[in-house]
Amino acid sequence: MIAVAALCPAPPLLVPELTGAEAALPDVREACLAAAGELTAAEPDAVAVLGTGGQARRWDPGSGLNLAAFTAGRRPRPAVGEPNLPAALGVGAWLLTAAGYRGTRVLQSVGSDEPAAACAGVGAALAAAPGRLALLVMADGSARRTLRAPGYLDPRAEAFDAATERAVRSGRLDALLAVDRALAAELMAHGVPALQAMAGALAGRQVRAQIRYCGAPLGVGYLVASLRVGGAGLP
Amino acid sequence: MTGGGRQAELRLGLRSFGPRDLLVMAIVNRTPDSFFRPGDTWDEQAAMDRVHQVIAEGADIVDVGGVPAAPGQDVDVAEEIRRTAGFIAAVRAAYPEVIISSDTWRHEVARETCAAGADLINDSWGGWDPGLGPVAAEFGAGLVCSHAGGQAPRTRPHRVSYPDVMADVLAGTQRLAERAVADGVDPARIVIDAAHDFGKNTWHSLEITRRLDEMTATGWPVLVSLSNKDFVGETLGLPVTERLTGTLAVTAICAWQGARIFRAHAVAATRQVLDMVGAIRGDRPPALAVRALA
Repeated sequence: MIAVAALCPAPPLLVPELTGAEAALPDVREACLAAAGELTAAEPDAVAVLGTGGQARRWDPGSGLNLAAFTAGRRPRPAVGEPNLPAALGVGAWLLTAAGYRGTRVLQSVGSDEPAAACAGVGAALAAAPGRLALLVMADGSARRTLRAPGYLDPRAEAFDAATERAVRSGRLDALLAVDRALAAELMAHGVPALQAMAGALAGRQVRAQIRYCGAPLGVGYLVASLRVGGAGLP
Repeated sequence: MTGGGRQAELRLGLRSFGPRDLLVMAIVNRTPDSFFRPGDTWDEQAAMDRVHQVIAEGADIVDVGGVPAAPGQDVDVAEEIRRTAGFIAAVRAAYPEVIISSDTWRHEVARETCAAGADLINDSWGGWDPGLGPVAAEFGAGLVCSHAGGQAPRTRPHRVSYPDVMADVLAGTQRLAERAVADGVDPARIVIDAAHDFGKNTWHSLEITRRLDEMTATGWPVLVSLSNKDFVGETLGLPVTERLTGTLAVTAICAWQGARIFRAHAVAATRQVLDMVGAIRGDRPPALAVRALA
């Protein structure tokens, strides 16, 4: 059963080794570390990291972000575990370590092309595991928020990300299952399958959200939230 | 100097260049919105004035483009042709022997610009349009085969990663060069380009710079396009207007490793760097050496 959850974006630039001498977006990193720290503080039996990847599968829980793939020859730290770990899970694994978590991990990807129901099913299956589980969802908003964004400006992106924020803020995660996936793909909102898995994992639970960060400083929507999860209740 | 051991003759337009020749390709943008000095040569007379200037400063090649690399206002085929083909014809008329390059990824545009007098098709987008090679072959033009990491034209890289970026660059550019040969392009007119920042983050661009000798070792002439790019800006923490020094440093490193064509905004400064590298390599004498010799 999910006891507590956190939502963070998954930009590789959260990892200091990737950004050079200066820290990039320290406020985003601080918010993510705080959210991950809250999971650790709850002393769960395990933390499950959820992120969008090529397909739905479990990964070697010892795997980490393959830094060499982003930094070429610098190789500041060797990759451990499976080198093809989706970056969202790799950033999540890094975040857990950075937050001081040393316990059991589950690394679960959801397929980027899986329909909403299948994504929700992946989340529900995670939540059905025995014990007290913490959930760390690594999901980005649209990468088309500004002119300087990776995908350039799409004027629909801001409203799209705002709808995600409303769903999270209000704890009404079911709304995430109704997201238009074709639009999400156009807006380069790669986190949507993971958000839908989160909705599946927390279906029927009371969720109270604390938004720790919401913005798109580099044109990609970043939403950081701590989610306190209560018993069954919300319709 | 490292690399360049098996470099052959390079033919561009009416001219031929040996492996030790270092060529400056001057950027002339026929755009209102390129990243460096946007709109500077949008006016046709301003663009022609720049051509006069860069040739006087020692440019070997004039590279005329009508579409910025970054995403932005759509420029369709007809508009790109309108921006570039007539201007290339005017440059050709003014300078019958200068090498003119057409910066485009579209074969429809290349057909018009080659007909107008372009000698080289500079495709920064990794052969996205397979029709470019046949057009180059038809007109006897050259072709730049670049590595854009599979990115569609005018898209930005987003969290790109490579098991080995240089291996990807080598495989991609050589595959394109071989495709160009199969299309009938004169092998002596084929150039490869790692395409710094195209489909790459700053670490990747630094890596391909550090390992450029692996590209020159292929024997294909190597073009580098470094001028004022973001990997220079991110490395030094400087905005686009303050990247000349960093650009020139990278230029020297690439020249030392055997690159042969240098696409640049600052022609005179680039020419000086290349002349200096050439002198250090022993390929060209000092302009005048009298110190301690009198």
